[in-house]
Amino acid sequence: MEKSGIDSGVREIMSKDMVIEVKNLSVNRSGSLVIKDANFEVLKGDYVGIVGPNGGGKTTLLLALLGQIPKASGTIRLFGKSIESFNEWERVAFVPQDATNFDANFPLSVRELVSLGRLGRKRIGKRLSKIDWDEVDSALEFMGLSEVAERRIGELSGGQKQRMFVAMALVRDPDVIIMDEPVAGIDAATQEKFYQKMSDLNQKRGITIMMVSHDLSAVFCRMSKVICVNKEVNVAEIRPDVDLEGVLRKAYGDHFHFVFHRHECKGEFKA
Amino acid sequence: MMEALGVIGLRGMIGGAGLTGFMNSSVSLMELLNYQFFQNAILGGLAAGFACAWIGLFLVLRKEAMIVDGVAHTAFGGVALGLLLGIDPLITALGISIVSVFGVSHMKRKGLAESDSAIALMLAIGFSTGLIIISIAGGFSVDLFSYLFGSILTISRSDLLMILVLGMVIIAFLTVFHKELLAITFDERGAKMMGIPVDTILTMFNLIVAITITLSIKIIGIILVVALIVIPALTALQLRASFAKTVISTILIGLASVVVGIIASIFYNVATSGVIVFTMLLIYLTTTALFRWMR
Ligand SMILES: Nc1ncnc2c1ncn2[C@@H]1O[C@H](COP(=O)(O)OP(=O)(O)OP(=O)(O)O)[C@@H](O)[C@H]1O
Ligand SMILES: [Mg+2]
Repeated sequence: MEKSGIDSGVREIMSKDMVIEVKNLSVNRSGSLVIKDANFEVLKGDYVGIVGPNGGGKTTLLLALLGQIPKASGTIRLFGKSIESFNEWERVAFVPQDATNFDANFPLSVRELVSLGRLGRKRIGKRLSKIDWDEVDSALEFMGLSEVAERRIGELSGGQKQRMFVAMALVRDPDVIIMDEPVAGIDAATQEKFYQKMSDLNQKRGITIMMVSHDLSAVFCRMSKVICVNKEVNVAEIRPDVDLEGVLRKAYGDHFHFVFHRHECKGEFKA
Repeated sequence: MMEALGVIGLRGMIGGAGLTGFMNSSVSLMELLNYQFFQNAILGGLAAGFACAWIGLFLVLRKEAMIVDGVAHTAFGGVALGLLLGIDPLITALGISIVSVFGVSHMKRKGLAESDSAIALMLAIGFSTGLIIISIAGGFSVDLFSYLFGSILTISRSDLLMILVLGMVIIAFLTVFHKELLAITFDERGAKMMGIPVDTILTMFNLIVAITITLSIKIIGIILVVALIVIPALTALQLRASFAKTVISTILIGLASVVVGIIASIFYNVATSGVIVFTMLLIYLTTTALFRWMR
């Protein structure tokens, strides 16, 4: 009795900082195993890069974490609560891989779309207030979209569309933002700015960030943790004493070479 | 006035669509306002035009406009049933509309039928049942005709009351859930992930669609309900504006067409629902041409 009391006390303290906790997770898609026996944790304030080859299962993993596709076995806990009973979805913002594939003729201005991020379980049927619109405008400004705020969403460039969905995620005031390839198809300079913005959010506002990216340098320069997905899931802290190349080889194969030179990183490091 | 109303009533019945013949006499627009039939028509028309246009924008964006046509035709069965049983046909039509809207969405959700074939099936069941009921009840009824083609110039005070109450319900729903409906229409899955109770809101939306269709039957008729719902939205979408502006234009186009249609049909002595839809088409064509030319 005594012992289990202490155990649950320790658990309580730990789970406060636990954003995602995955144990022995396997996920099938169309009958074949896509994620095999994954174990990892994401803590409050982590900045996590998810990498791996095409078809490796990155999107599948995220969708399982979000409860969008069923798991075959294992447990997922979000903010300490089992996914089956988790109901604080307002704390989680997700930007899907295909977010920008919307109907280009849909009659919405950028500002209107971003304002929809203010809706959610707690605000059903309520009008948006001045505070809501202020949040919208500051998110637009933060993502560098103020000039195009009144434009129709179909009239933005690919990179602007991506940033618009991130702005929509931001106005939800989430504790964690999960993004599936948010910088795909964006020019190098804009990507750089994007990662910088995300670092700011992560460090200044303490928002936990997880994003799928194929840009390994950006992941290693800026993020605190990497999750490599290729059916098997391997997780590593991004630190000088960790053999990151070895971790990557598990996902990309033995012939994979990625020599990471810390001094090549522009701007600040995370770790 | 009584005489005029009598003429309208009679010809309305026979013509089915409110064919009136009294504008040869010199009644001005101002004088027209004193006639109760005109007041009823305008009030009922505005309520229906407002509700149809607004709900229509969501239906068009959800690519579900044809549900309206299917459900309206199914409601024909309801009207026939009401006439047979001696109940207000609008009440039975409402019941049948609700059943068929949920039927379509159930079949769609369960993958039992692609949406358009589900709609075709509903339409067939409702309309054929209606025909059978009519033949059992003893042949063709002039009353039935007024439901098929609308009879806005002959709606009674009690019809008007029902239309206004239903219209209020629709507008209240849309006012409260406007933003949520927009989020669901844009991205249903995303809306779900945000914690918006998508299924509940869509169930209510289906109910509201059924109510809107029923409300419009007396105004525009079963055959042309779909026009009242679809054309204002299609026109406003040509403007390529923000959502707020698109909603307002949609509603204004709906209201304007109804008013112009009612007045023109009285002065030129033609079928009202025909003129309303024709007015809408004119606005649509003009807008399209204008915006094509401007771009
Ligand atoms: N909707 C689906 N139904 C069935 N199988 C799917 C589906 N989506 C993906 N898969 C399969 O699951 C596996 C993992 O796909 P997933 O989309 O998770 O990969 P990914 O790592 O996100 O790839 P990418 O880098 O191309 O985005 C692939 O083999 C893919 O074919
Ligand atoms: Mg993917």
